[in-house]
Amino acid sequence: MKRMITLQVNGDTCEVAVEPWHTLLDVLRDQLRLTGTKKSCGIGTCGVCTVIMDGLAILSCLKLAIESQGHDITTIEGLGSADELDPVQQSFIEHGAIQCGFCTPGVIMSARALLDKNPQPSDEDVREALSGTFCRCTGHIKTIEAVKHAAEKQAGAGGTSDGQ
Amino acid sequence: MRLPRFEYVKASTTGEALAALQAGDGQTRILAGGTDLLVNMKYRIERPATVIGIRTIDELCSVTTGSDGSLHLGAGVTLSSLAENSLIKESCPGLGRAITAVGSKHIRNMGTIGGNACLNTRCWYYNQSQLWRDAREVCRKAGGNVCHAINGSERCHAINSSDTAPMLVALDAEMVIQNREGERRVLAREFYRNDGVRYNALEPEEMLSRIEIPRGNTERRTAFIKICSRRGLDFAMANIGAAVSVKAGRCSQVRIVIGAIASHPLILEKTAAVVEEGGLSEGGMEQAADTARTELGTLTNLFSSAGYKRQLAQVLVKRVLQELKGSSRNKRRAGK
Repeated sequence: MKRMITLQVNGDTCEVAVEPWHTLLDVLRDQLRLTGTKKSCGIGTCGVCTVIMDGLAILSCLKLAIESQGHDITTIEGLGSADELDPVQQSFIEHGAIQCGFCTPGVIMSARALLDKNPQPSDEDVREALSGTFCRCTGHIKTIEAVKHAAEKQAGAGGTSDGQ
Repeated sequence: MRLPRFEYVKASTTGEALAALQAGDGQTRILAGGTDLLVNMKYRIERPATVIGIRTIDELCSVTTGSDGSLHLGAGVTLSSLAENSLIKESCPGLGRAITAVGSKHIRNMGTIGGNACLNTRCWYYNQSQLWRDAREVCRKAGGNVCHAINGSERCHAINSSDTAPMLVALDAEMVIQNREGERRVLAREFYRNDGVRYNALEPEEMLSRIEIPRGNTERRTAFIKICSRRGLDFAMANIGAAVSVKAGRCSQVRIVIGAIASHPLILEKTAAVVEEGGLSEGGMEQAADTARTELGTLTNLFSSAGYKRQLAQVLVKRVLQELKGSSRNKRRAGK
């Protein structure tokens, strides 16, 4: 039996009717038409479905929609705008950290969750944060460089006094 | 892959969850982080009629210290929050290492300590798509009576790949299990069973609510090492958890536990005895590692060959002992 649930997605409140077996990913893509979040392996091994829930990068393919009520959800559509991209998005373009682009929303959301929590991550921190995402074309070095650069740029924009 | 259909019950208290479990007549599963159960359901390995959501039960989500100094980990605490827990970092860093060895950052943000401790056993012939499995006779784990891993075997040889399990056994942890009548406590070493089908002591109407880790004395040192083909997001080919008390060069209360090579974490008692006798000298460690190779019993050739597993065990014992020795050196240095 379908149940009505209320989701907080990208600052909007959305009411949707879901079955218990619908995942958050199903609802985001099929009902809310937020198709920026991709669906690939469906079993938590690729990370393309990553969204940020209450500040943490989680896999929307392994989260029941019904259990996503009352949580603050951010998808790739919630980052930046067409005129002003999120620093992570901009950095991915500048560093060529995108090729086919399918994994990109998941990688960017994973990186965003990291930078929100840890604005100056070490190489190891970045690698850990991206450990659950797979890119099959660009590879992982450029994404790591892009995230590091985004962190530096963000720190610069924040008005640090060390002249960066 | 889509999930099969099921009924969903949201439990707000442990009592509600236990009532739903009992009403479910064995066709019910507890859903915590979902990173093991939902994957298995997508593969149609598990087909529960009802799923009980326990994410909003507060009492399962706390980390507290008991009056005797023991550490009480609620079964519903996520792995990533435990990884950052200062109590764990200080009192049993080995457990912290085991926790961060699980899956990826994303998996740890969702998965819980209770879920990882109760991780379903896995087998090359079982964790496959329905189409793949349909091409073979139904195996013991799927309810049949053959074992494809060891032809003619009387039991299921699926492997317990949990990273935290060997460490919990090494720490003499106690698993607190609840049912509607009350609670019972089972030592981690007895919680795990050498049977791929009934791989732990939980009955269908029971749930794991808490894991208690004894305080241990001030000389206790812990270490954990995992070997897998990738550093992130992979099940172990073998892992090892060890705890030892070192005082004036003597080792006591030695626990060395190898995981991910059998249906339960293997406690290496003979190896531990060698360490208690020989200590952490080069020769002693070498001898302990050789002993480990001989005390593993029958191994199957799932995921990696039996011979390779013996070699892994030998190497892991040596490495973990070196790490324990190193941590004592660091401590001396820090004390100066």
